[in-house]
Amino acid sequence: MGVSYQAIGWNRQKKQYDWLIFGFCCIYLSTFILVTAIFNPEYTFETVLIRSTSTLALLILHVILCIGPLSRINRKFLSLLYNRRHLGVTMFVLAATHGIFSIIHFHALSNVNPLVSLFTSNVNYNSAGGFPFQALGFFALVIFFLMAITSHDFWLHNLSPKTWKTLHMFVYGAYFLVLMHVMLGAIQYERHPAFVLLIALGAAAVLTLHLVAGTREVKKDNSLFDPAVNGFVSVCDVNEIEDNRAKIFCVNSERIAVYRFGDTLYAIHNVCKHQGGPLGEGKIIDGCITCPWHGYQYLPNNGQSPPPFKERVSTYDVRIEGNRVWLNPSPFPEGSERPGTVISQPSN
Amino acid sequence: MNNEFYIGWMPKAPQGFARHVKRVLLTILPVVLLTGAMLAWLQKRFSTASFEFGKLTEVTGVYFKDPVPMLRVNAGNDIWGNTSYISIPLVGYGKHGANGIIREIEIEHKTSLDHKQVILKGTLLYTDGRTIMQVSSNEIASVKIVPGRTAETATVQKDLGFRKVKGEIIDPKCYFGVMKPGEGKVHRDCAIRCILGGIPPMMHVWNDKGESNYYILVSSTGIDINKAVQDYVAEPVELEARLVQYGDWTLMYVADMKNIRPISSLQLFRPASTIIACGTGCTQ
Repeated sequence: MGVSYQAIGWNRQKKQYDWLIFGFCCIYLSTFILVTAIFNPEYTFETVLIRSTSTLALLILHVILCIGPLSRINRKFLSLLYNRRHLGVTMFVLAATHGIFSIIHFHALSNVNPLVSLFTSNVNYNSAGGFPFQALGFFALVIFFLMAITSHDFWLHNLSPKTWKTLHMFVYGAYFLVLMHVMLGAIQYERHPAFVLLIALGAAAVLTLHLVAGTREVKKDNSLFDPAVNGFVSVCDVNEIEDNRAKIFCVNSERIAVYRFGDTLYAIHNVCKHQGGPLGEGKIIDGCITCPWHGYQYLPNNGQSPPPFKERVSTYDVRIEGNRVWLNPSPFPEGSERPGTVISQPSN
Repeated sequence: MNNEFYIGWMPKAPQGFARHVKRVLLTILPVVLLTGAMLAWLQKRFSTASFEFGKLTEVTGVYFKDPVPMLRVNAGNDIWGNTSYISIPLVGYGKHGANGIIREIEIEHKTSLDHKQVILKGTLLYTDGRTIMQVSSNEIASVKIVPGRTAETATVQKDLGFRKVKGEIIDPKCYFGVMKPGEGKVHRDCAIRCILGGIPPMMHVWNDKGESNYYILVSSTGIDINKAVQDYVAEPVELEARLVQYGDWTLMYVADMKNIRPISSLQLFRPASTIIACGTGCTQ
């Protein structure tokens, strides 16, 4: 979290992350080129460049799409999520290398503009087998481009988190376009079953992880509570909430995080203003509720980010009767001061 | 519950997180690397076609404008002592046919090249015993027209009758070595662009031994064959047309586009090799 914008706020972890990505990409590309040169000595450099960058971009795209649900399933994957955008930009650079070089290779030096050629050479748009697959790759690349140039927090704040998130959810559309680009292109040429199998395995992994993570969320969201008494719903035993941690409850379709900070319970809206991260899966650090995704912070008593930051989330009333925690799901305006409720007796 | 927590802006990850990330990376990275190596290994074999990029060869021969721009080159005497010739179809630079550059040469020399003996410099492309040549505007200055020498004999032609063949319509420039692969769906846009740019389309067929043959497609009705075949390029097709032996090449005179029919790729599958098998009536 930084108060002013920098291109990249470097720290030790980011440097390690980026060096690892860079080193790995170099090793992958070298390996691909070397294996091709050994087993396929009649290769041309243009083709091996197009193929090595495309396969690496596709593999990285799968990793990117899996990190999200994996982090929902196991918190320890969160360390990969924090700098995921670096991985995304790397994937875009590889995909762009593949795309631009392919457009030059297949469409330049002709009697029409390469971009016109891209859409007018093969016009079998009404055929599955003959479909102009390059156009699909082009549109996927446009989405990746928009995502890459807006991946910085500057754009997140200026576009608004909602617009930004919507734009970045198009990655799933782009993924579908890429799959079709491969299935209607390379797979029509490379007949070895391993290619289809790998594509199917990749898509199955992405789909399964999303389903597992989604099912867990839905299960949590569908937890039933006893009817409200004076607006308060009994949600859990006070001992179930650890110090500096929270439990998340979905009441009236609103996810609310109930945090314990010392001997006091506080309730705030679960959705981080930055990228919609689950605040209730975070931790209180230096007196601030810290989002597990990118570390945005909020004060537990009023849902405000500590000055000079300006993010605010809704707060809720919470109280304790006996050992039961009662939560009022009616939100107070974002940033409203709420006193929380003191745990009167040692409970563990 | 494990109380470890980590955010990327923290200076150091807790041990549990660090161990977990290491384990994950040590699993994922080799898997991705092996997958890449496997993909590279499983690629279809590249063809042995050759494009002598950057190397210019001077060729002397008689230029014929029709049926497609080509040079007929004296290849010495055969075993019976008769003069034999090979024909080298010409293509232009990039995705263009040779007509443009030939026109430029004719303007430069203020004469038609048709049926004249010329000395051309260009880049050779060859595969399966066939050769074509790329000529570009950089070589216009070096073109020589041998004064007074015109074609002494007409190219031998022999009508082979109507045949039905199965294969793929290719642009010969890419297939003969500029692109690898220069065939199939992945290369389709490029092949269409080359053919629409004036490079003569060819029908590539295979016999049951996997040997290739190439037929130059020409129109027997005056239609623009390059434009007419656009929808059939780089996909398996069956084509019925009159075949005419033209020197060492075979021409296919296409009378009607209805005689070109897309077929399933399975009908061309050649299990023992990189591609395909020849349909009935295929000639070599």
